[in-house]
Amino acid sequence: MLWFVWQYVYTCFLRFWLKWFLRQITGRCELQRICANCKAGAPRTAKAEHSLRSSKSTVLRGAVDVKEDAVENCVAQIMKEKNIKEQSDPEFKVRLRQCLMQISGYNSLYVSVEELRKQGFDSENEAHEQMLLKLWNLLMPAVKLESRITKQWGDIGFQGDDPKTDFRGMGMLGLTNLVFFSETYTSTARRVLSHASHPKQGYSYAIVGINLTEMAYSLLKNGALKSHFYNTVPGKPQLQHFQQLFCYLVYEFDKFWVEEQPESIMEFNLYREKFHDKVKLLLLDPSITLILTVEPKN
Amino acid sequence: MTETDSTTLRCPGCREARGTLGLLSILRKLKSTPDQEVRILLLGLDNGGKTTLLKQLASEDISHITPTQGFNIKSVQSQGFKLNVWDIGGQRKIRPYWKNYFENTDVLIYVIDSADRKRFEETGQELAELLEEEKLSGVPVLVFANKQDLLTAAPASEIAEGLNLHTIRDRVWQIQSCSALTGEGVQDGMNWVCKSVNSRRK
Repeated sequence: MLWFVWQYVYTCFLRFWLKWFLRQITGRCELQRICANCKAGAPRTAKAEHSLRSSKSTVLRGAVDVKEDAVENCVAQIMKEKNIKEQSDPEFKVRLRQCLMQISGYNSLYVSVEELRKQGFDSENEAHEQMLLKLWNLLMPAVKLESRITKQWGDIGFQGDDPKTDFRGMGMLGLTNLVFFSETYTSTARRVLSHASHPKQGYSYAIVGINLTEMAYSLLKNGALKSHFYNTVPGKPQLQHFQQLFCYLVYEFDKFWVEEQPESIMEFNLYREKFHDKVKLLLLDPSITLILTVEPKN
Repeated sequence: MTETDSTTLRCPGCREARGTLGLLSILRKLKSTPDQEVRILLLGLDNGGKTTLLKQLASEDISHITPTQGFNIKSVQSQGFKLNVWDIGGQRKIRPYWKNYFENTDVLIYVIDSADRKRFEETGQELAELLEEEKLSGVPVLVFANKQDLLTAAPASEIAEGLNLHTIRDRVWQIQSCSALTGEGVQDGMNWVCKSVNSRRK
């Protein structure tokens, strides 16, 4: 209760006067101070984003939803609104532009991820089918698939004899993530699969991968991945950056699962939540980078 | 067995409405006996729609469902009276674990993908085996002929015939066509569930 009162008083009155006071003594507005004093990456971009979002000016508030091609114009408008001269603070423009590129980049990454998720796996689509077969070949190079509909799919962790029903709510996002991991870190993926194939402590590799795609997707959607992307991608993050994060999750989840030694697959959701909490905790650190530390092709 | 991953919706006064499909409204229809747990078990083949049904009952988002590894559970509690709905994954590999969840089941809900005709035989076999289980003897069974929103879905009457439901003599049973996706038919099925729990507890 006290906390809410404090929050209310702070955001309504104190913050304004504090900013005014600091502006008087430093001669710079809040955004300028953030761009000058905070380290590039999440420490700077997340603060700038918060400052813009809580601004009284509609120009500044609107900047958090800016599209990539309007960033340049948006920077000029902000400088005009805040009456900042380029000559007096030459670094500011460059830094603010970078912040806005990261902010708009995160939003557009979500849009493209969502688009791929909404695209269901379609057996009639040749490209989808090829991708599914590619996943098999990457993971099981020595074993030939007997037919398109076969129990063998269970060997890489699909539920039944046709994987098409397993992608469900994750659609093609689930499949592209699995293929990306197997293609970029082939031997790591095979090693993870071998852990998953353990008769007692195993799990279903492919559907756990689809489940972890859901984890990555939800974290992206609720903004939890901002610090990670602001710290690891200087400009606009691409789909492959999201897929890299997925690789991190699969690798780390497998490690976690093996270490924890659950009794059986029936405990999956319990350990998934534990792992999810661990990741969420890591993401609260403004300097976080969730990077898979094995070399590609390894 | 743990319940730490359960979603518990507590409702001390139990006056708030959570929609007609909500677990709380089901709980309210059950005859309340404090310190008692009503246990509903959702079983069926993978991709039948068990998790969608569970989420629909709990008024949760059903757009990003993924295959169930292990199980999901939703609980509601009111004045010491508790309703637990267990959704156990349906893939062949984990069906051997189903038996760990039989004990003290009040109603079995068996979910069928009515459009997956190729697996009618398999789903019928699994159901027949469940009905033979000692721990489930006499437990009322509701068969949800799910996915009726699909054009290719078989009607409930055809499924009932295929599964030989009319030969069941040792318990009350019901088949209900529904779509867990749109919610159609789910309420009717759940009303039957409440009715059969109540008459068993008389």
